[in-house]
Amino acid sequence: MTTQGDVIPIGSLVPLTGPSAADGAEFRNGVILASEEINRRGGILGRPLKPVFIDTCRQSAEEVVAAANRLIDEHKVHAIINGYNIGPQNSEYEPIADAGIIYIHNNTLLQHHDTIRSNPERYFGCFMADPADYWYGQGFIKFISWLRDTAQWKPENNRIAIISGSKPYSIVIANAMASAARQFGWEVVFGPKIVTTPTTSWRPVLAEARKTNPAVLANTHFYSGDLAQFQLQFMEDPFNSIVYLQYGAMHQSFVDQAGEKAKGIIVSTVIGLLRDEMGQAFARRYVERFGPGSTPQVGCQSYSSVHHYAVAASLAGGTAGPGEFEQNRELARYLKESVYRSVAGIMRYHPEWQSAIPYPDYVRDPSLGMPHLFYQIQDHEKEQALIAPEPYNTERFALPPWIK
Amino acid sequence: MNKREAPQSPTAPLAPSAPRQDTVFAGLDAVASGIAVWDATQKLRYCNRHFRESFHHAISEIAQGLSYPHYLELVARSNELVLADQAGWIAEQESRFGSDGLEEQPLADGRIYQIQRRATDDGGMVTTVYDISLLKRGEKALVRAKELAEAADQTKSRFLRAANHDLRQPLATLKILIYNCMSEPDEEHRNDLFHAMDIAVSIMEDLLGALLQIGQLDAGKIVPRVTTFQLAQIFQRLDIQFRHQAQEKGLKLRIVDSRSSITSDKALLERILSNLVANAVRYTDVGRILIGCRRSGGQLRIEVRDTGRGIGPQYLERIFDEFYQVADGKRDKKRGLGLGLNIVKRIAGLLDHPISVRSTLGRGSLFAIEVPAGNVWHSDIGEPEISESIGGEFAGVSVLLIEDDEALRIATTELLERWGIVVHAIQEEAQARDLFERSAFDPKLIIADYSLREQHGTEVVRNICALLGREIPSIIVTADTDPLLIQRLKGEGFPVLIKPVNPPRLRVLMHNLLYEPQAASGIRN
Repeated sequence: MTTQGDVIPIGSLVPLTGPSAADGAEFRNGVILASEEINRRGGILGRPLKPVFIDTCRQSAEEVVAAANRLIDEHKVHAIINGYNIGPQNSEYEPIADAGIIYIHNNTLLQHHDTIRSNPERYFGCFMADPADYWYGQGFIKFISWLRDTAQWKPENNRIAIISGSKPYSIVIANAMASAARQFGWEVVFGPKIVTTPTTSWRPVLAEARKTNPAVLANTHFYSGDLAQFQLQFMEDPFNSIVYLQYGAMHQSFVDQAGEKAKGIIVSTVIGLLRDEMGQAFARRYVERFGPGSTPQVGCQSYSSVHHYAVAASLAGGTAGPGEFEQNRELARYLKESVYRSVAGIMRYHPEWQSAIPYPDYVRDPSLGMPHLFYQIQDHEKEQALIAPEPYNTERFALPPWIK
Repeated sequence: MNKREAPQSPTAPLAPSAPRQDTVFAGLDAVASGIAVWDATQKLRYCNRHFRESFHHAISEIAQGLSYPHYLELVARSNELVLADQAGWIAEQESRFGSDGLEEQPLADGRIYQIQRRATDDGGMVTTVYDISLLKRGEKALVRAKELAEAADQTKSRFLRAANHDLRQPLATLKILIYNCMSEPDEEHRNDLFHAMDIAVSIMEDLLGALLQIGQLDAGKIVPRVTTFQLAQIFQRLDIQFRHQAQEKGLKLRIVDSRSSITSDKALLERILSNLVANAVRYTDVGRILIGCRRSGGQLRIEVRDTGRGIGPQYLERIFDEFYQVADGKRDKKRGLGLGLNIVKRIAGLLDHPISVRSTLGRGSLFAIEVPAGNVWHSDIGEPEISESIGGEFAGVSVLLIEDDEALRIATTELLERWGIVVHAIQEEAQARDLFERSAFDPKLIIADYSLREQHGTEVVRNICALLGREIPSIIVTADTDPLLIQRLKGEGFPVLIKPVNPPRLRVLMHNLLYEPQAASGIRN
């Protein structure tokens, strides 16, 4: 265990270059702000945190695993805390499990569950701080059923068209949507159609989907630029569907490109900044620290994880570096046992999955799960309207302008 | 204070203060009952602490010298006792001074006092007050339990008599059939007898199963687990359960898709509905059975409608009784037990779901059950646990695994199946040829061991591709780490994984080969 006054090195695998660089910068900011706040209050039991960042570039398995190895071997980090890395699909768990340190990420991948379950002893320290991608699919089906059942929207029919990007994340979400649809009275009439991504060419697949006359059109690809093109091409000849776009449409860059044609789009996130007093105060601190162009809505993810780690470490009596399995197991136990109310809502790890439990997708009680937030772009020059779930929603759903 | 004699100060001692007497009175103060001693002139000569505290609102005025009529007035006016007629009560109590008596007196706060009067030899009286509320509550519970036990006992006796009758029937049949069978020389006829025996046994089996269910319901062992879920989940299961039976009878079974969320116990509600549908199939000879639902306020009404024999109005009251069967002149080979609707009634009662029936003789019946509509956000998805086999990226992808080491073949198959993959695992090329000849299996990917007993995995892969007439993305796995070999395999265009295969690496490679072939070409190692 570290002794009084020693710094605690905290590693972070962040894509500072490449396609996810914008998010990577925010994940870095989140770790910095949380560390500064914790250090101002005396660190973890008197020991300050020292973040160490390594660029994971295009986030391939090789890049991320190499970065994790460097953090462990060169910097002897006690934990690795970051946002997401798309490519490695849990290969980075291996060096981390060998070192016996804590790893908290927002990869949002269902396969995390499988890896943990395959050997809970080995992967005791690996935590996913947000719910798996799977919940996007199921939660979305519940969301449109809720709109329908509460008569906020009267669909012309019960048909759904699902388009997926080619990353596992997109495919899992699309599959989960398809598997839940029927139980809630929907019929998947198109897809899940997997389109090789990245791409900006959506007209052919839109033409195919249009033929099936769906009441719901979902695209589970998540690059904001690609999605902006999707929406612009959809609006060339729109049809009477609700349009749902995956996570990337949350970004300002999506609205910047799609402009007024973004109005009406539904988008969701299984981890997002709440608009309550806590969330707003955090956003102010964040923008003050990193400038008006920074995005606290993304930075809140790694920020929350660092704070939760600090709480658990304090309860466990301190942090520990590579090879110190016993202390890290104790810390992992407190991560699982302590429910932490972050600026993104409740962080509560499932004892077996070691990932955040979602509300209302999995638990009915908002004090026991992280809210799966649904937004609608109602005015492209303003913040998205947060339309579900209760009690976090601040606005109501509005019929998209292209629906006749 | 009234016209009667004023009492002494409440703080004045109620009894002589000699040391021995002090000890006695301290002891009496500790007694859980209130005790008061009145002399022949109806004056209070002694009372213990509990007596004073028993009449909380009059406590300050209960003191030595207080007259009995005044005491009665104080207590009546305090409104601590539930008295329909205060003046009448006072007069009645006054008249009973000096006589033995025992009364139970309810209090305004719900407690019950037992007040006992006993005459003393000197013409006075002792009053004791005892709080019997707990005793009474226990007594009431005992009475209730006894009534319930007696009712259950009666039901059980009636039930067992009826069960005994119904169980004897197939047993007697079985006995005759066995006897006949023993002497039956004709094989075909003997087979008919076996078939009849099978039916008799299955009737007994059903009867015992139903008895067990009712026994559990009666014993309160079935505790509902209420959740919110999609009604469609039950409808799908009913469809699987009854479609074949309905078709066999030439009936049309139609289940109208439902998109509603409901709040109930999924397993128990399914038991109710499957009993109703089983009855509909059993008692419908021609026509159809329609299952659907309609919303009415916060409730959902689930209906099972048939075009069957129907039930006469005179029988409708009794059809939910155990072993009750409407006598309609038609006897099925395997008729019902008369328990299904009784189970339905009991479970519906347990779940608090109202049940109703409408029927026209010769035209059909409509059974309906009302359940609370649920909040869609709270609806449990069909699967109890999320897993990659439901929503994973490889869910439903078909993979051919060629591995001659049995342990490895089993382990890899398990891993792939956990990811939702449809795996066909074989040891050698001949099995692959056989597989493609007799099935329509169409692999999207091949994983082959390099060092098979007879051939190299690369050769088997090439032959399979030639057989199927298309290129299939393939992965070669090998325990041989010779760099020259790996170089050669890569040169031949095969991605290679070294044993023991690291699952995340296998996953990345499979993903790239299946969905992002351009990326796959960059990470062939």
